Amino acid sequence: MKNPVLSSLTFAVALGAAAVASHAAPLSFDFKDPKGVNNVQFHLDAPLEAISGSSNGISGQINFDPAKPAATTGRIAIDASSLTVGNSMMKDHLHGSNWLDVAAYPEITFEATRLAGVRTEGDKTQADVTGKLTVKGVTREVTVPVVFTYLPGKLGGRLNKPDLAGDLLVLRANFTINRSHFGINPGQMGDKVAESIDLSLSIAGAAPKA
Amino acid sequence: MKTRVSVRNVLRLGAVLLLTGTATTWVLTGAHRGWSRTTVTEMQTDEITGIEYPVHRDGFVAGVEFLGGGVLVALALAGMSFLKRPVPERSA
Repeated sequence: MKNPVLSSLTFAVALGAAAVASHAAPLSFDFKDPKGVNNVQFHLDAPLEAISGSSNGISGQINFDPAKPAATTGRIAIDASSLTVGNSMMKDHLHGSNWLDVAAYPEITFEATRLAGVRTEGDKTQADVTGKLTVKGVTREVTVPVVFTYLPGKLGGRLNKPDLAGDLLVLRANFTINRSHFGINPGQMGDKVAESIDLSLSIAGAAPKA
Repeated sequence: MKTRVSVRNVLRLGAVLLLTGTATTWVLTGAHRGWSRTTVTEMQTDEITGIEYPVHRDGFVAGVEFLGGGVLVALALAGMSFLKRPVPERSA
């Protein structure tokens, strides 16, 4: 005759192990966006001219565990040729060899190395993410305040495919870089092209479930 | 009685029309204080994620060089209207 207590205990242990296993591995979120919504916007405010533009050529992967957000790792890339401004001549200059030189340096990348100051409230996690930012072939360590919003089960709704199971991870970050630090026409034309570039990143990654 | 259209009046009218048209176009396209733009950007919001994203479409936004160019040409036309025409000598 089976021991009911032992059976219940075994079942409880198995259930607990399954629950732990389901949260043990971080989820891998792909940031290549078929809807073209993921974007980075930039703004430069010089004495003679204000320049605003954007890019939606964003890709990359972030490994995020909702139970352990401090262990987040990943890399985001921006296709430099997708950066655009409202004036076509200005866009050609932006892509040219004097400025971003997109032919020689086709990607702008950020690779996260560590997180600090992690605090979670509801579905939002805020953290200071330190990583290697590479622009025009120059890599510098930067620390960026990021807000992660984890949206479990929302992937199907976003792609209008209710049968598609999966989670979303939204990243938002606002930070400023100095173009001279990355060799972007350093010290030149500061009256028309500001040294400080304000960046605003709003991207969503998808982690489909098998 | 014949009505003569004075060259001066044509120049002045042209100047006024050009100035008015340029200024009106500049104001109606948003009084943009940068260079003229060939795309118009509209912000939309993704329902699920709440991400605001720019949507670009072809469109003309007049900039300061458009306004300035129109003003300069209008001033030139107006200035020309004040020039004295050489009076042909009458033969005896």
